[in-house]
Amino acid sequence: MRALTANRLTDGEVVFWKDGQWVERFADAQLFGDDEAEAAEAAEAHGKCQFTVVVEPYLIDLTEAGEVWAPVSYRERLRALGPTNHLHHGKQVEGGDVVEALQHASGAARSKGRVDLIKRK
Amino acid sequence: MPTRIKLDHGRMALVEDPFTHVADDEGVPHGDVIVSLTRFQAEGERLLSDGRLVGVRLEPSEEVEALAYDLPRIAVVAVAFPKYRDGRGYTAARLLRERYAYAGEVRAVGDVLREQAGFMVRCGFDAFEPADGSTPQAWEQAAHRHRHVYQRAADARAPAYAERGEQ
Amino acid sequence: MYRYDGIDKEILADRAAEFRGQVVRRLAGEMTEDQFKPLRLMNGLYLQLHAYMLRVAIPYGSLNSVQLRKLAWIARTYDKGYGHFTTRTNLQFHWIKLADTPDILDALASVDMHAIQTSGNCIRNVTADPFAGATAEELDDPRVWSEAIRQWSSLHPEFSFLPRKFKLAVTASAKDRTAAKVHDIGLLLRRGRDGALGFEVIVGGGLGRTPYVGPTIREFLPAARLFSYLEAVLRVYNRHGRRDNIYKARIKILVSALGAEEFARQVEAEWEKVGTAGDLPDTELARIRAAFAPMNFETLPARSEAFETARAANPAFARFVRNNVKPHKKAGYAIVEVSLKAIGETPGDASAEQMDVVADLAERYGQDDIRVTHEQNLVLPHIRLDDLPTVHGVLAQAGLATPNIGLVSDIIACPGLDYCALANARAIPVAQHIAERFADPDRAENIGELKIKISGCINACGHHHVGHIGILGVDKKGEEFYQLTLGGSGAEDAAVGSILGPALPAARVAEAVDVLVEVYLRERQDGERFLDTFRRTGVAPFKEAVYADAH
Repeated sequence: MRALTANRLTDGEVVFWKDGQWVERFADAQLFGDDEAEAAEAAEAHGKCQFTVVVEPYLIDLTEAGEVWAPVSYRERLRALGPTNHLHHGKQVEGGDVVEALQHASGAARSKGRVDLIKRK
Repeated sequence: MPTRIKLDHGRMALVEDPFTHVADDEGVPHGDVIVSLTRFQAEGERLLSDGRLVGVRLEPSEEVEALAYDLPRIAVVAVAFPKYRDGRGYTAARLLRERYAYAGEVRAVGDVLREQAGFMVRCGFDAFEPADGSTPQAWEQAAHRHRHVYQRAADARAPAYAERGEQ
Repeated sequence: MYRYDGIDKEILADRAAEFRGQVVRRLAGEMTEDQFKPLRLMNGLYLQLHAYMLRVAIPYGSLNSVQLRKLAWIARTYDKGYGHFTTRTNLQFHWIKLADTPDILDALASVDMHAIQTSGNCIRNVTADPFAGATAEELDDPRVWSEAIRQWSSLHPEFSFLPRKFKLAVTASAKDRTAAKVHDIGLLLRRGRDGALGFEVIVGGGLGRTPYVGPTIREFLPAARLFSYLEAVLRVYNRHGRRDNIYKARIKILVSALGAEEFARQVEAEWEKVGTAGDLPDTELARIRAAFAPMNFETLPARSEAFETARAANPAFARFVRNNVKPHKKAGYAIVEVSLKAIGETPGDASAEQMDVVADLAERYGQDDIRVTHEQNLVLPHIRLDDLPTVHGVLAQAGLATPNIGLVSDIIACPGLDYCALANARAIPVAQHIAERFADPDRAENIGELKIKISGCINACGHHHVGHIGILGVDKKGEEFYQLTLGGSGAEDAAVGSILGPALPAARVAEAVDVLVEVYLRERQDGERFLDTFRRTGVAPFKEAVYADAH
């Protein structure tokens, strides 16, 4: 399962693709199943054209965390939540089931989605 | 005839470009040409004796020292920027102007963007082939954005400490 | 302090206006992100995990109360009410909007501040001795040279697209408080045989993927020839530094590949061609030097009754004096270190309120002079001993008087994976857990000097290579693991730390540090610091103890 994420150009806010829009809550993100690769890549391509809206969109891998989907990598969980040294900063302030599930999701593994963030040549 | 942006007494304008860039594997056409350093080293004498103006294209890894002896006879040095982030061309231009007192045209070619206008002019570039479709007005504006400079460079602008001396 | 004149101010204003224009063009889509990125980096604006991060320059770590208050105001107005002081003595705001940045740069320019070249492949901020102008140890005031370098390097037309970033440090005392030997260029002020002022020039130090203690490229450079020599070094680097691989693009790789001797020879050859035309005129150096002329110190007795009384009566104050107060060159004065390492807090962070407190103290009691250290603390370099009890009281109320400078809980940590797009692991929680473990101030003092430095990735912004205990976050199958190193030093005895053993999971790091400390306490002789004991015993007893359960 995957989702598409980016940072909003004007303010750097972490956003997620949902049906052609960019939403702020991971809980609202559109999910792309393993059989929806074309749709996922089409969305990513579309995002890359929106260079006055978002910066560097990329697909991230998700894993099951209880009853919700969570990003596989720590980095993406932190992007979806906020920093762990200030729990009153960032998206986590809103609380809710998905936020809680992300905060307590166990384990993490290398995610393909991360590679784009580190510009390895 | 193609044009390039030319700097003249602080003004930027589109000026007709008589030079043709010639690749190493192309035949040399009539008229003024810009060839690679390698080609110049092989055929330069012959090209010059044809009575045409000859320019040399310098890649970032090629050093201006290789041209030093021939500079008086070279009409234009085209300093290449394969990527705008490759800053070797700035050193090349400065050395051409300041160390070798080169009086011909120093032209920026390749991934050349208007945001580099200020730095390029200060390093002694006086001609530009922009890759971003920018206009001479944009280049002139970008080149004159800073009322003061802190250090000496090829453009003979008085550095801040010299300005202070005059106060 | 250097006061910006009309020219300096116009340079900042023009730069802010230029960036405003670039932001407008980016937002309007007239520039791609790829074209815009180096421009915003040259103004210190990164895109990080949660938002943009703005790195404000604090040139050679020096600022006054007006400037610090403006940083507090920016924190409140445009960020979440705090800032983070870095290992290069700059200040980072972690929650910035691109659209606000032009206004922020204007606000900074109004108090002679900026974010010029705090990122990008250009010459960065100079790290200078935070005790400059206050310590009796110094040969000359490093700030004179640092300010001259700031001006020379700002918007340098030839050296703004280097193969990679370029960092300088200037130190003038026997004790190096700048980590000069692990900078791209370290300038150590020296006296020549005839007493003339000059520099020992170290080139090619660095941390990151391939740490090096830099070799001395020139034993003695006459001070008046500094800028022509710098031009020669930068030009050799600009021409010959690698551009094919960002992990091999720093000058340390070039120096290592050529060898120090050949590199020095190339620099000398270029330097000869540059000649004195590349040097700064004596008049300009004198003008800058005059700005740092000794302040109006009072003539005071060496002994202050108010200070001695407070020290005898108040154990907390006495502890503060033991650890956070250093001798000043003037009788009756002291250098006060302000700890930004309160137990359990984020290392190097200061709230807007705390910034205002320090600004007020500096203005009222401290010659309006504030410094930032590369260990993420602040300094009030000129405090009268008479005023020290009062200053301490105010600092303590604001949570700025933790008596731990140089001790185990004075931990250096980069923002790490909590904020940084480059990180592999978090650094802040590791620092917090260790500090909490060593919260007992008696234990901390008993342990003595112990510099722990934590980086969330190999880029080493936490300077872990030069920690007495270095901790490097690595990503092991997506989980946070930490590699420990021992025996690094960023001081005049610079050294790169040695790996202790296999990386440990996050939950075991604080405990491992505890074990290391216990080994040290067991083994130490004759007032040895942790670092000294390690250098004598080697890694074996430490490794054995930490990995004991692996047998």
